[in-house]
Amino acid sequence: MQSPPTPHSSSKYHHPYFTPAEVEYLSIKQRGKLSVTQEDRVRQNACAFLESLGARIGFPRRTVATAQNLYHRFHLFFPRKDFNYVDVSLASLYVSTKMHDTLKKPRELLAVSYAIRYPDLVAKSKHPGGEIDIDSMDQQIVERDRQRLLSIERLLLETVCFNFTSRMPFPYVIKLGKTFGASKKLTKLAWRLTIDCHRTLVPIQYPPHIVALANLYVAALLSSFEQPIASDPGTRTPHEIAAILGKNGDWESKYQAQVDDLEGIAHTMLDLLVQGVQIATLNNTSPRTPSSPSPHPSPRMPHPLMETLASSVPYNAEQLTRLKIQMRQTEHEPRPRQPLGSADPSALYSGDDVGLLGRSEGTVRFLFGPAGAGDDF
Amino acid sequence: MSMDPFEVRIQFLALLKRLNASQQSIQKVVGFAVKYFPPCGEDLWDCIVEECQKGSINSRINILYFLDSLCETCLLVRSHSSSIGSDPVNKQYVDFVNRDIGKIVECIVPAGREGLPNLTSTKQILENWRSKRVVDAQTIDDVLSALGKRSPPVASQAPPVASTPSHKKSSHSSLSRSEVFKRIEEDRERHKRLRERRWVQPISHRAPGQMNLLSLLPIGGENDQEVLPLDVEFENDWETTSDWNEDDDEAAVDESELCFPAEGEGPMDLS
Repeated sequence: MQSPPTPHSSSKYHHPYFTPAEVEYLSIKQRGKLSVTQEDRVRQNACAFLESLGARIGFPRRTVATAQNLYHRFHLFFPRKDFNYVDVSLASLYVSTKMHDTLKKPRELLAVSYAIRYPDLVAKSKHPGGEIDIDSMDQQIVERDRQRLLSIERLLLETVCFNFTSRMPFPYVIKLGKTFGASKKLTKLAWRLTIDCHRTLVPIQYPPHIVALANLYVAALLSSFEQPIASDPGTRTPHEIAAILGKNGDWESKYQAQVDDLEGIAHTMLDLLVQGVQIATLNNTSPRTPSSPSPHPSPRMPHPLMETLASSVPYNAEQLTRLKIQMRQTEHEPRPRQPLGSADPSALYSGDDVGLLGRSEGTVRFLFGPAGAGDDF
Repeated sequence: MSMDPFEVRIQFLALLKRLNASQQSIQKVVGFAVKYFPPCGEDLWDCIVEECQKGSINSRINILYFLDSLCETCLLVRSHSSSIGSDPVNKQYVDFVNRDIGKIVECIVPAGREGLPNLTSTKQILENWRSKRVVDAQTIDDVLSALGKRSPPVASQAPPVASTPSHKKSSHSSLSRSEVFKRIEEDRERHKRLRERRWVQPISHRAPGQMNLLSLLPIGGENDQEVLPLDVEFENDWETTSDWNEDDDEAAVDESELCFPAEGEGPMDLS
């Protein structure tokens, strides 16, 4: 490894996307003694926590998705053992609210976080909406949590080199859905899959238009595999869309994507769904949820959004596994990605530099791209 | 302390009469209304509608902003209740708003010159309600179109501003200069607050710690009768997102270049 830059002046380059090889290498490094399963559980807890925070505050999708991306990115650079997922999630969300102009102060985020994590506090709260008055909490604890949030914020900003631009897949889901003639219902499924996709590291390995197209492909697969064809006038059937996106075609050059990108992402999404289905099936209907098991609940009853009822899960794990096997039979060669360089990307944040990060000594230049990239003026 | 319905009504009327543009005042009245919804909801609603019909133009717009906060709170309470497994709570005052919205808007923006000061704010709130599906989209569209169909007031007529403070107040309320300025300032603050909250989506209470993927939730039927809070953003974006165009072609090329190496490029130089 090269000698580290001198403490008084160094440059760091924004690394917008990671290759699968980098993700693998860095994950192993930051996982430390945790097993893969344990790491995955923490990651899912963090993403679910962010989803809950987002739903209670009413953040738009872009804010929650970017927070999840920032969380994933943070733990490619920093070891899991040194940080607690709640602190990192809150800091990620705070940075995301700034990036997307959906501002909330740290204390406001903390208040909702306490409401989620401490239901007994909520029960004692006088507010009928289940909100917690943060002024009534122990201010030492609140202030400690706030300081932790802000210190992680600083580290997060450095992992993105202060680059606040962020294109999201969501608009592309709709644009591409309409372009490919998908029904609104199919596009809605693709939208939801795109939301769930941010629980994986796919969005930091592929550009947003490919993430969107891949989730449209997954939606089409889920709606067509071992399903009868039902035609909806004016739209293409899921079977047709799955057929188009499952092989090479003009769409690849038109939309800057390759069929193997879609396949790789689809497998990751199917694995996520299998996991989700297995967990949902393990949970029996809790006595708290409404008794109606119908997938079309009456409009008068609250919708069962707390836990997915075992009886209403639309897929089963065996079916999804059969789909994966069928896909493997016709899959395409994955495109080459950048080989793992000799410089460890997380070396940006190790060695003599570590003492500098989050401080204001010395000069560290944060650049949006390496020398030569996009310099053609 | 439990009050009889008569007492509740009296207290509520007093609160309504003192309602002003501030958040503090609004929240106080909202709290009272929500607390006494069972069993006095219908009665309190009647008080609100009555105040819309009888109050000054300024107090009517104050009521509309109050209704906005009231609806927000009712939906929050409903979501929270179902999340802790309490008996299902209906939407309380939101259902009344949906039922009587035509009548309310007619009162808050009366035809002619008199209603002009309230027109812009009312449209903003209606659009906000549409976007969040507080009231269903078609109903709002109908109300907005009815507002739009009215013949506009003759241009030469100035809005009712007194030129001197001693101008006599008519029953169609010409306002004093200081009242006008106060109203302008209140509008500015309220519009600013609406703008700042424009990004807020309908809320729902979801349980963390489980892998409850959105993809596994029921996708709903074809009719748009009940839109799940989590789908409202999709519904709005479906209506407003432009088709794939050249800007998207360029963006796709940019992002692909950042993500995938061009021929011959080695790994990123991280030095």
